[in-house]
Amino acid sequence: MDSHHDSNLSNSSQVGQPFTRLEDRRHLAGQGGFVADLRLPGIRDVAFLRSSMAHARLGPIAVPADAPAGAVWTAEAFHGLVKPIRAVLDRPAYRPSDQPVMAEGTVRHVGEIVAAVLADNRALAEDLAERLEPAYDPLPAITDPEQALLPESAPLHPGWADNVYMTMGRTTGDFDAMVARADVHVTRHLRMERVAAMPLETRGCVARFDRGSGVLTLWIATQRPHLIRTMLAEQLTGIEERDIRVIAPDVGGGFGGKSNLYPEEILLAAMAMRLPHPVRWIEDRWEHMVSASHSRQHVQTITAHATKEGELLAVDVRFLVDGGAYAMRTSTPAVEANMASSVLPGPYKFQAYRFEATTVATNKTPVGPFRGVGRPAAVFAMERIMEETAAAIGMDPVEFRLRNMIQPEEHPFTTISGLVYDSGDYPSLLTKAAQSIRAPGKGDAPANIAIGIGFGCYTEQTAHGAQEWHRRGSPFVYGFEAARVRIDPSGGVLVSTGIQSHGQGLETSLAQIAGDVLGVSYDRVRVVHGDTELCPYGMGTVASRSLVMAGGAVEGACQRLAAKIRRIAAHNLDCAADDVLLAGGEAQGPGGSIPLDAVARIAYLELQKLPLDVEPALDILYCYRPPVETGAYSSGVHAAKVAVDLDSGHVKILDFVVAEDCGRVINPLIVDGQIAGGVAQGIGQALLEEFQYDDQGQPTKVTLADYLVPGAPELVNVRIIHQETLSPFTVHGAKGLGEGGAIGPPAAVANAVSDALRQFGVDVRRVPIRPEDLWEALRP
Amino acid sequence: MTDIAITINGTAWEGTVEPRLSLADLIRGELTLTGTHLGCEHGVCGACNVEVDGVPMRSCLMPAAAADGCAITTIEGQYGEMAERLRAAFTTHHALQCGFCTSGMMATALDILRRGLGRDEATIRRELAGNICRCTGYQGIVAAILHVAQETTP
Ligand code: FES
Ligand code: FES
Repeated sequence: MDSHHDSNLSNSSQVGQPFTRLEDRRHLAGQGGFVADLRLPGIRDVAFLRSSMAHARLGPIAVPADAPAGAVWTAEAFHGLVKPIRAVLDRPAYRPSDQPVMAEGTVRHVGEIVAAVLADNRALAEDLAERLEPAYDPLPAITDPEQALLPESAPLHPGWADNVYMTMGRTTGDFDAMVARADVHVTRHLRMERVAAMPLETRGCVARFDRGSGVLTLWIATQRPHLIRTMLAEQLTGIEERDIRVIAPDVGGGFGGKSNLYPEEILLAAMAMRLPHPVRWIEDRWEHMVSASHSRQHVQTITAHATKEGELLAVDVRFLVDGGAYAMRTSTPAVEANMASSVLPGPYKFQAYRFEATTVATNKTPVGPFRGVGRPAAVFAMERIMEETAAAIGMDPVEFRLRNMIQPEEHPFTTISGLVYDSGDYPSLLTKAAQSIRAPGKGDAPANIAIGIGFGCYTEQTAHGAQEWHRRGSPFVYGFEAARVRIDPSGGVLVSTGIQSHGQGLETSLAQIAGDVLGVSYDRVRVVHGDTELCPYGMGTVASRSLVMAGGAVEGACQRLAAKIRRIAAHNLDCAADDVLLAGGEAQGPGGSIPLDAVARIAYLELQKLPLDVEPALDILYCYRPPVETGAYSSGVHAAKVAVDLDSGHVKILDFVVAEDCGRVINPLIVDGQIAGGVAQGIGQALLEEFQYDDQGQPTKVTLADYLVPGAPELVNVRIIHQETLSPFTVHGAKGLGEGGAIGPPAAVANAVSDALRQFGVDVRRVPIRPEDLWEALRP
Repeated sequence: MTDIAITINGTAWEGTVEPRLSLADLIRGELTLTGTHLGCEHGVCGACNVEVDGVPMRSCLMPAAAADGCAITTIEGQYGEMAERLRAAFTTHHALQCGFCTSGMMATALDILRRGLGRDEATIRRELAGNICRCTGYQGIVAAILHVAQETTP
C-alpha cells in the first residue's frame, strides 16, 4: 500500500500522486451498497410488461380473473398522477416528441412499458406480467434511419409532417472556391452502428413514501440525483421538489446510460405515493437491452478537398442519426448529430466547412448519451477521410495530419465550427504516438496475416459552463458545481458535493484536492455524494466535468475554510494569519503550532478561544462557476496496430498506444484507469458491439451472449503517454478526461485495418468491423 | 419446495427453497450476502461467481436446491492469505472502478491463482474470458493477478 504519507505532508503533495482509492475497501469486502442491495421492511417488487411489438396500436390489456386487486397498473391508473416526458431543446429546428411514461393507444418500440405489476417478490410479479394479454394491432415499423426519411414512411408522432427530430446545416468559409482550388476530392460513405453504454449493473429504483413527513425517497442507479429530483417534481403531481429526496447509492457504472430521466423512475415514485409500503424495480438484462438508452447509429457521407501538396482545404459532411422512438430527457436524440457536426474539425484547421446534421425517429429504443457523445462518430468520419486523403495524395498519413494540425502557439484557437480551444499541443501528441506504435516490433507476419497501423486524433471539450450549454439550447445549463466542506469538532473533514461518482474514483481525487489545501492526508477526508438531502445541488457526473468543476468547488470551499482556520490559529498562536501554514494535520505558526482538531474544537466547543469577529463552526458552502465557459479541451492521439487474418477476416489488436493531454493530472492511477476503460469500450465499438433489428423492428441482440462487450482476451494492455498542457481556464489546470478513451478507438482501429488491407483495395466503411464483411471483401 | 443444507462462508445453514430459486437469489435474499452481484442472470458476465466446493460457479444459473450439501464461499467469506494479497493487489493496480464486477472477479482470480495459472498475461486473459468488466479494460485486474502470482511463487 502506498496510501499513507501522513506525517510529512507539505502543500500540493497529494495532487498528482497515484494514491490508491478510498472506495476500494468496501467493494473488495463485498460491502458496496448498490440499489439492489437495499433492504427495506415491507418492500414489494415491480415487474413491467413491455411491448413485444415495435409499432402497434395498443388495445385493452386482458388481466387474468385471479389477479389480486391492485396488482396490475396500466396507463389509466396513472392518469392525473404523471405527465409525459418532454425533452426540450431551445433550437428552432428541433421538434420534441412526448415520451409516454406508460404506453397508451400506441407502442413505438419493443420494450416500451405497457403495464406495471406489483407482487411480494420479482418472480411472482413476472409470473403475473406474463399472463397479461395486451391487444396489439401491428403497424409498419421504421427500422432504419434512411427508411425514416422516405416519403412513404408515415410519421411516427402525432402532428409531425415527417420523421425528423431535427435537421440543421451550415457552410462556413468560401466553400466553392476551396473545392475549385483542391487537387483531390475524396469521399466515403460510412456507418457507425447502434451501441449502448451497457454498464454491468443494470438500472434500478426503490421508492418509499413516508406518510408522516410527506417525504418521497427514491434510491436510483443514476448519474444525476439532483437533476432527476428537479425533473421528478415536474413530472409528478401532488408533491413538491422540497419533499423529494433522491439517493444515488453505489452505482455500477453509467457511462451516460444512467443520466437520462427514465419512465420507470416516475412510475415507481407515483406508485410509492399511493402505497403503504416501499416498491422496488431492478432491471433485468433483457429490459436493459431494449429500454435503457442506446447510442450512436450514424450514417455518414464525408468528403475532403485537399491540394496535392497535402493542404486540407475543405470538408463536407452529412450526419444522419437514428434517434429511436422518443426524445429522452434531457439530452434529446439530436445531441449526437449536433455534437458530431460541431466537433468534426478536431485538431485540424482548414478553410471551409459544410455540414448537415439530421436526426430521425424510428421504431427502436430511444437514443441518449454514451461516453463520447457525437465525438467517436465525428472522429471516425474525420480520421477515416484523413487517412484516405493521405493515401490519395500519396503522403504518409502522419505527415499529412501534422501538416494540417493547429499549432500549440495558436491557442486560444477558434475552430471553423466556432469552438474555442484553450490549449494543447496536438502535433507533439501525434509524433509521440507514431514513434511509439511504429517502433520496430517482431519480424514478418505469416503469409495469411496482414499487419496495419492506424491513428485517431481528437480534441475533447470538457467542463464547459453556462455559456456553452446555453449556446447548444440546453434547457438546463450546467454552469456550476458546489461543495460543502465541514470540519467536525474532532478534526475530521467531510466534503459533500453535487456530482456523483460511479467508478471514477472521485471520493479519492476530491479528497486529494481537499487534503492539500487543508494540510491533511487524503484518507482523513470523507467525500459524500449522490444524496440530494446531504449534498448541495449539482449537475451530476456527465460531460467529463466532475473533476474540473467539483474539484474547483472543493478547492474554493477549502481555501475559504483554510483562511478561517488560519485566523483562529493565529489568534491562539499570537501571530499573523498570513504566517500560519496548514500542513501535517496542524496549523503551524512561526513560534508554535496547533493541531487541526484543536482548532476545530475551538470553533465549535471552546468559543472562549475564538476571536469575536470569526463566525463559529467550520462549515463552508462554495459554488464554482468557471471564469471562462467555453470549456477546457483535452486532446489525444490513439494509435492501433492490428493483425488481420486474411483467411477468416478476424482482426486482432496487437498494440494500442494512447498519447493524451488532460492538463494537470490529479491522480495518475485513476486517470490511466479511465483511459484504459474508455479504450476498451471504444475497441468494443470498433470490433464487436452492435444492436441489430429485423425488418419488423425486433431486436435480435438482447443478451450479453449476442451483444458482445470486449472480454480480457480481446484486449491488450493500453500503453499510455502523458503530456500535461495546463488549461489556463481551470483551477488546477486540469481538463476532463472521462470520455476521451472511448473517442479514438473506432477511428484508430478502422484506419489500422484499412492500412493492413490497402494492398487488396479494401478499406473500412463500417464499425463494428465484422470478420464476415472483411472475408467477403477479400474474396478473390 | 426442497429442503437443503449448505455451508455458507463456514457456517451451516438449513432451509427450504423453491425449486426455481437460484443460488444467487438465495445468497442475496434470505442470506443477505449482497456482495454477490447479478449482471445478466444468463450466465455470461460472471458477476455472480461464487466458490462452490472450491470451484467458481455461476450462482445465477445454479439452482439453490442443487447446492445441497455444498460449501459455498462468497466475497464476504474470502479471508485466506491469498485473498488478502489479492485485495491489496486489486487496490494497488486499480483493478476496480465501480466495483460491480469485483466479487465475481475475485472468485475467478483466486481460482486462477490456485491453479497456478497466474504467471503470464496471455493465460490470465484467457482464464478471465468468463468475467465481464465494463469499467477497467481488465488492465489492472490482469496486473493484480500477475502481481500476486509473482509474490507467492518462490
Ligand atoms: S449474473 Fe450470473 S453470469 Fe451474469
Ligand atoms: S469495475 Fe465496474 S464492471 Fe468492473
